[in-house]
Amino acid sequence: MKKFTLLTSGILALGLAACSQNAEKGSQDNSGNLLASDWQEVSDAAAGQEVNMYMWGGNDNINRYLDEWVAPRMKEEHGIELTRVPMNDAQDIINQLLDEKSVGKTDGSMDIVWINGENFKAAKDNGLLWGDFSGQLPNFTDYIDADAPEIAEDFGEPVDGLEAPWGQAQFVLVHDENKSPNPPKSMEELASWVKENPGQFTYPAPPDFTGSAFIRHVLYETTGGHEQYQQPAAEINDLEARFEPMWQYLNEIEPFLWREGQTYPESLTKQDQLFASGEVGLTMSYDPALAASEVLKGRFPESTRTFLLDGGTLANTHFLSIPFNSSDKAGAMVTINELLSPAAQTAKLSPENWGDLSALDLEKLSPEQRQAMTDVDLGNATLPLEELEANRLPELSADYIEIIEKGWMEHVAKE
Amino acid sequence: MERRSNLIRLFFFSIVFLVIVFPFLPLLLSSVSFGWQWPNVLPESYSFRAWEYVLAGSSGTWPAVGASLLIAGIVTAVNILLAVPAANALSRNKFTGKWLAEAIIFAPIVIPPFVAVMGIHLTFLRLGLTETIFGVVLAHLSPTLPYMVRAVMISYNTLSVDWEDQARMLGAGPFSRFFHVVLPHLMPGIAAGASLSILISLSQYLITFLIGSGQVVTLPILLFPFISGGDPAIASAYSLLFAGMAILTLLVMDVSLKNYYKNKKASTVKGQQRGVEM
Repeated sequence: MKKFTLLTSGILALGLAACSQNAEKGSQDNSGNLLASDWQEVSDAAAGQEVNMYMWGGNDNINRYLDEWVAPRMKEEHGIELTRVPMNDAQDIINQLLDEKSVGKTDGSMDIVWINGENFKAAKDNGLLWGDFSGQLPNFTDYIDADAPEIAEDFGEPVDGLEAPWGQAQFVLVHDENKSPNPPKSMEELASWVKENPGQFTYPAPPDFTGSAFIRHVLYETTGGHEQYQQPAAEINDLEARFEPMWQYLNEIEPFLWREGQTYPESLTKQDQLFASGEVGLTMSYDPALAASEVLKGRFPESTRTFLLDGGTLANTHFLSIPFNSSDKAGAMVTINELLSPAAQTAKLSPENWGDLSALDLEKLSPEQRQAMTDVDLGNATLPLEELEANRLPELSADYIEIIEKGWMEHVAKE
Repeated sequence: MERRSNLIRLFFFSIVFLVIVFPFLPLLLSSVSFGWQWPNVLPESYSFRAWEYVLAGSSGTWPAVGASLLIAGIVTAVNILLAVPAANALSRNKFTGKWLAEAIIFAPIVIPPFVAVMGIHLTFLRLGLTETIFGVVLAHLSPTLPYMVRAVMISYNTLSVDWEDQARMLGAGPFSRFFHVVLPHLMPGIAAGASLSILISLSQYLITFLIGSGQVVTLPILLFPFISGGDPAIASAYSLLFAGMAILTLLVMDVSLKNYYKNKKASTVKGQQRGVEM
């Protein structure tokens, strides 16, 4: 009996291994062709495919844009069935792909994933992404400036064509025009503003994404610019000493913060609540159109406005990628290409749909396309596109972010 | 006397209202609020934006409710089939290694599901069970089965073997002994276990998410991104819908259990009458 079980499980294992090998061969042949073939062939292969797009699902505007604007068009124009799969966190996508990779699953159901930053780096380091596909997309070559630093790099990590830019985000500060007509436009002004308005400012405690970004602005302004941090953190010997003015600044304003700096909001959502209820006078966002959409939803007052720092603010790009084991790679390529079209990007820019900044290079658009994009009413709370674009700073790479977040706990939270 | 019992009833209902209904009120208000700033007890104005989104066809809420109920239903049916013989063996027989069998069956209550699920995910991936309803049902069995077995065991403990012996002496075969003697007695235990099994299955997020890998979409899969850092109004609307789904399911079960006993009673009375006529 025992022998029999051993035998059958052995045969089963062999069979499974053989199956997966065959499948791997098949998909590799196929995908190699796609990367080399011309666009017509890709479009033909894509017709009739079912494409699953795995992405964060916690915003009704974004969900609706995909379900009601994009999906019907994909069906009509390309015969592609686009299904959005809601995720709680992009990290979950990476974990799932890691498991699939470790057991050699080749017929994965994720065709498009929405990632950037740390998640992209983890996916790239572990070989979870398919290949250098973005240069194949006609809309990428036509409308995107592939050499721009925010397109070629994702939080300091070279993109290598593994992902295509979908949109951009930029850090803004948010205030209520009626309560504070002259908001602080630099860290120096912020320090005096905070002292004049004690209890009216705070920032979310890192590792909150937005709070951590605020601290990076302090770093840039108090330690003499971002250029010095373009190399890996390990290569700078006196990093501790260079960071010192940043900790000094944060400790100097601390006694004048909300609740005398005894505590910090644990997340941006909490700080937004404090702002919505009028307890603090400023909040911040890494999404320049979020304040406008909160006004539309009735959470923020009508007189809410956003502003930039005079020295510029951090910007980053979010990307779409195709996992190594996607079953419908041609469909994924056609879908991503469509999402990068001027029409889809213009619709995405409108706060009614989403309010996300375009990934396209305005210079490369035809005059009509550019007109359509600049005609989008961003709402009173959002700054004009040109003003945002003219004041962008590059992001820091993930190794710095880790050091800063740890340092904040030690130098600011504990003291 | 009449007055006093009325007062007691009033008191009782206010307690029930406070404990059960009151916590839902803020959820309800938040789901329809448009501008709700801090010192105000009630929102300044109302909007059905959140409900419009949740109930609209494109958000996929109804298929997700269907998938949730389907999975909970299959899980509970399988649980009943597994738990009745298991409880029979555990509560009536003495055998070596019984403690081990019990420990294995009840382990999922004590061990955090996260630990087991990571391992299950890799195994299911190898077996090709991920992304299927079948795989999700299998994975839901582990956190639900212990409650089912426990509930049915309690029913078995109060059922003496004498009843079945008596039926056997009257000529009843194993099937009619089970269906006419044992099952009616187990029914309350099965109902209690089934309620727990349904509720636990409906509320699984992590297991469904990992094993279903986004291809099996239940209500918690839609709800979770909104609860953790998403839109509060939509999170509230989804939470209310979830509570409504769970309560409705339990209600349906309760009503069908009552019907079962009513029919049982009617058929026994009929049977007795027939006996008299003969």
